[in-house]
Amino acid sequence: MFKRLMGSAAIVVATMLPQPGFANTSAQLIEIKGEVIDTWCYFSGVMGGEDAVIGSAHHTCALWCAAGGIPVGVRTEEGDVFMVLKYSGEDILEKTDTIMEVQSDVITAKGMHYVRDGVNYLVVENVIANDGIQVLNHEDYGSVPPNSFPKNYK
Amino acid sequence: MQFLKSLLALSLFVGMSNAVFAEEEGPFSKGSTAKTFGFQEEEKALFTGKVVDVLCEISGDCADNCGNGDRLLGIVRDADNKLILPLKNGQFSFNGPVEDLLPYCGRAVDVDGIMVGDAEVYGSKFYMVQKIRDAGAPEFRKANLWTKAWAKRNEESAKKKGPWFRKDPRVLRQIEATGYFGLGHEADRKYAAENQ
Repeated sequence: MFKRLMGSAAIVVATMLPQPGFANTSAQLIEIKGEVIDTWCYFSGVMGGEDAVIGSAHHTCALWCAAGGIPVGVRTEEGDVFMVLKYSGEDILEKTDTIMEVQSDVITAKGMHYVRDGVNYLVVENVIANDGIQVLNHEDYGSVPPNSFPKNYK
Repeated sequence: MQFLKSLLALSLFVGMSNAVFAEEEGPFSKGSTAKTFGFQEEEKALFTGKVVDVLCEISGDCADNCGNGDRLLGIVRDADNKLILPLKNGQFSFNGPVEDLLPYCGRAVDVDGIMVGDAEVYGSKFYMVQKIRDAGAPEFRKANLWTKAWAKRNEESAKKKGPWFRKDPRVLRQIEATGYFGLGHEADRKYAAENQ
């Protein structure tokens, strides 16, 4: 797990330091590139495998989940997921459009990475690049779930 | 008809596992009456812990009243001091757990629900909280506060027909801007032309 993390994030500060006063937590500044995802559908398997619950196929569902207060993650190409706690100065559940606008996008960001009890947490301090939606899997899966695309689209 | 559509959406969200996984017995399953759905590596989990602001817990960046609904909340489990991250409440329409946990900020609670996900792959399991109460209180209450809280925040939208996620202003603004696949309206039109 740790080796995968080292491979998936460019390390700005080389050492992952224990947090003084915060038991079982370590922290480091990292640069990370990954897709902004809906974590419930990803981890639970509720809508099928990982490949179907990312990208364009799952975009509308990702919007629903982000608006619904389900934690948002950043998933690296290697498959590691970082739970986002703050995004560009906003707490992640603030009722703004900031986090909505980047759902399913592949972003490159700098921020503080914390690990506690096997979970990666990320405070996104600034977004360096946004490559937009890169996984065009609606061509393979349609919309996931199917009712996230209108039955009679006009 | 709208009710049936809503029901379909809800059942899709909870029960549409393409692969149905076997329920497992976990270290905190004893005594749990949580509902199970066949999610990945699913196990019931009933435990006692303290509700915390996750960011405060791991970094010391704390906010009043656990962020008043703007921050992810977790539960530090008494038995092993692990920070458990709930992703979901007990409702079936794309709802997170913050509204159900926030009233217990900083307090000891009993929670019942399910852990999901493959800890070997993801580093941890994640929680769906279905019931919550003050630790030792006689009765649980269902963790289902999200949609009522949404309706209170979005009074005009709540008056319209349909489930919240089809009329949420934040969702609608994004679909208006970039379509259902997030690739622009031309991509939506092309998909509809080829598949409907």
